[in-house]
Amino acid sequence: MKKYSVVGKPVVRVDGRVKVTGQAEYSGDITLPNMLHGKILRSPHPHAKIIKINTAKAEALPGVKAVITGKDTGPVRFGFVDTPRYPADEYPLAIDKVRYVGEEVAAVAAVDEITAAEALDLIEVEYEPIPAVFDPEEALKDGAPKVHEEIIPTTTCAWEDWGVAKQARPYKVVNNICATTSMSYGDIEKGFAESDYVREDRFVVPATSHAAMEPHVALASFDSSGKLDVWLSHMSLALKQYWLAKTLGIPVSKVRVHKAFIGGAFGGKINLFPYEFLAAFLSRKTGRPVRIVLSREEVFTSCRLSHRMIVNVKTGVKSDGTIMAQHVKLINDPGAYRGSSPVVMFLAHAFCNPIYNIPNWLHEGVGVYTNKAICMPRRGHGSPQTRFAAESQLDMIAEDLGLEPAELRLKNVRKPGDVLPNGDRLDSCGLGIGVWKAMELTRWKEKRGKGNNQGIGMGLAAMFSGAAYYPFGSGAVVKLNPDGIATLFTGQPEFGQGSDTAMSQIAAEELGLTLDHIVLVSADSELCPIDIGGFLSAGIFVSGEAVRRAAADAKQQLLANAAEILEARIDDLDVNNGHIYVKANPEKALSFSEIVRNSIQKHDADSIIGKGFCKPVPEIEFYPSLSKGTGRFTDAYGFSVAVAEVEVDPETARVKVLEVTIADDCGFGINPLNVHGQLLSQAVMGTGDALFEEIVTEDGQIINPSFADYKIPGVFDIPKFRHIPTESIEPKGPFGGKEVGECARAAVIAAIANAVSDAIGVRIYSLPITPEKIFEALENKGK
Amino acid sequence: MKQLITLSVNGESYQVAVEPSITLLDVLRDGLGLIGAKKGCDLGNCGSCTVLLGGKPVLSCLLLAVEAQDKDILTIEGLAENGQLHPLQQAFIDYSALQCGFCTPGMLLSAKALLDENPQPTEEEVKEAISGNLCRCTGYIEIVEAILKVAQSNRGAE
Repeated sequence: MKKYSVVGKPVVRVDGRVKVTGQAEYSGDITLPNMLHGKILRSPHPHAKIIKINTAKAEALPGVKAVITGKDTGPVRFGFVDTPRYPADEYPLAIDKVRYVGEEVAAVAAVDEITAAEALDLIEVEYEPIPAVFDPEEALKDGAPKVHEEIIPTTTCAWEDWGVAKQARPYKVVNNICATTSMSYGDIEKGFAESDYVREDRFVVPATSHAAMEPHVALASFDSSGKLDVWLSHMSLALKQYWLAKTLGIPVSKVRVHKAFIGGAFGGKINLFPYEFLAAFLSRKTGRPVRIVLSREEVFTSCRLSHRMIVNVKTGVKSDGTIMAQHVKLINDPGAYRGSSPVVMFLAHAFCNPIYNIPNWLHEGVGVYTNKAICMPRRGHGSPQTRFAAESQLDMIAEDLGLEPAELRLKNVRKPGDVLPNGDRLDSCGLGIGVWKAMELTRWKEKRGKGNNQGIGMGLAAMFSGAAYYPFGSGAVVKLNPDGIATLFTGQPEFGQGSDTAMSQIAAEELGLTLDHIVLVSADSELCPIDIGGFLSAGIFVSGEAVRRAAADAKQQLLANAAEILEARIDDLDVNNGHIYVKANPEKALSFSEIVRNSIQKHDADSIIGKGFCKPVPEIEFYPSLSKGTGRFTDAYGFSVAVAEVEVDPETARVKVLEVTIADDCGFGINPLNVHGQLLSQAVMGTGDALFEEIVTEDGQIINPSFADYKIPGVFDIPKFRHIPTESIEPKGPFGGKEVGECARAAVIAAIANAVSDAIGVRIYSLPITPEKIFEALENKGK
Repeated sequence: MKQLITLSVNGESYQVAVEPSITLLDVLRDGLGLIGAKKGCDLGNCGSCTVLLGGKPVLSCLLLAVEAQDKDILTIEGLAENGQLHPLQQAFIDYSALQCGFCTPGMLLSAKALLDENPQPTEEEVKEAISGNLCRCTGYIEIVEAILKVAQSNRGAE
């Protein structure tokens, strides 16, 4: 393996000091002169017609500067999905009717938060409640209440704007269906016919909350020239910039997303939210900056949830455990608007496809509108739902056939070099070695199948390293300065995952500088090149590679300049610690500072600026087909093998997760400290998902929208944690790096579910695995 | 009706006019510009707003500013002295005990209160001390390790 001095080293975070001293400014910490405070009036009904809104009393309240309703904002549509087939279906403020409890109905800007809140109370809305539907299977039936009528596009769709030569079409909603997916490979019927054993099971996964510690915030300021400055909780400045520009009718370049620290994201801050549009709209209307800080309750009820899914899996195997066929049928309930429904149903397959070699498969899904809160990506987007189902069923098949479950997995896992049905090639794949190492280090065989309320279980997962999505790639710029220090410009947003540190490390390594010789400018849309953002796990693989290429470009320029000054050939030179020297005579050396100053004097002030770009899956122009699953998806997959050990209290049926082991293939770990941190984070998050996290609704109303009622793991809930590096070198990634931050969560959830079943001898078919469900399952077993 | 109160924050005395209903958190953030204390839930559930009052951790979102007058208040801005990080701050950096950083100020202050009162806590006592501080990113283990490391060096100092 190559010797590196900055990447692969456990260097501490570059943003550590500002965070431990409280200097790090998040969007909610920023105030602007003359700033107003915005608040949003939300629907108390799951489904109602809006008959009349009277804002006169609110407008008359001293200190209120603007009150707006859907009449003011108009039929502006936006959505996470806005394709020719699936036009956007959301409005920033409801028009004519509301479709879920928490939907935005009116907004206020006032001199302070208290006045804004008082103004909300003075807005009179007359509703006519209409029948609502909450169960997706009920919603599919003829005669069920209609959540939407036909969705007629009022503008071009996003994909047209991004260059796809297809026009948006009206979307006719039949039986509340908001999206469908159907993809296949091989011959599913033949596969089942050739199987010795077939079983079919149904699993249910509820909605959960991302619950990032920073509540969502937007600060927007229109200046009198029509330019918009915003500070946001986001995961991709390009997407926010595009959607704000589109909905406000201004050029993309006139929206500046500023750098602010972002207090966690986990998929929950990707797309445009109504409050962001409303802050900007109110700012333009009042001519003053407007900040909207959502309450924790609003975050739970209106800032999107993870996808509710019913997963039906039918799998056929040979008697030796070789998987012959798998048929997955999803019913996805994204709530009152489409959210990311077609995407999650696609990814529920695409993230699972690279795990087992299944020669015949059929993956079908239907997304169904209901009168509930909207669902969007959350860490693994579709993978936790399908991995929980498919990995649970694999254990059941192993038990039915008397096979060892880890060996059953080993028999079927894909290997390095495998080519997937869509053409993606696994240049690196640490699944097999992950299963082996996890078995060995956890003493799997000694512990498995002992029962007695102690259990051990395994789960596997995979994840893209970036895929084609707006703006379809990342750029980076490395600017050398006369003092020999380099300034790196990257649009990657830092929301905790460590991108600021990793991007700085990559630039430093490629340039031959120490980390303290990199000055980072990140996630400012006016200063940084385009960036694909921090989702679909594109950070290291796409933006990191763009940074590496920019640094390499700058290095080449430095070498060319040095060759000129030293009267040597470039090939005879080498770079080390901010200097370029002649290999044969290391004393003949120049510092970067000398080279840059020389270039400025001799080359018309060319101070040396390197640029680099990277596009995931360069050979496809836009995107794979979400509904058919054809076309390349990604250039590299990350892989996780998780093993969980649990203990079930026979008296209370409470599950305690004793230890989680993750064997993770993230390619070459750019920063081992952060790799470890990402995996531990997912071990603990997955524990919450498996055991207690669930958004509970009654008649469409979320009844646990607080940390008192929606429990996330606290310090006493954490298992012991073991990380087994099964790192590979991904040939296309920067220094061999790829995905690390999303994959493992799904594997952990599945491993815990299987461990519980190993402990108590019964299967729980839905998440979370609560004591109530365990009691019920044990009682039914006894019958 | 606003009333004039005096708060002693990070060794400095501030006179501020406040509504009796306003919380200490809002006065720190909006009145004094000390944005290190975070508003994660405003309901006392998450611990992001933790500051020390007379050396004890309090949830500043649940405490009225008028009730915080007689004791010294320490916020995260006052933890480093003369540009020198507190050992806990340094340990959090060294152990990568933070990611997004939003819970970090509250977490650090809960840890400081513990070590001031109990310089050599057990792991269980460390967990107890930060059990009111939620963190969604890190998974806690490195936070506990960082605090125990500082406790261990306390032991060395005796």
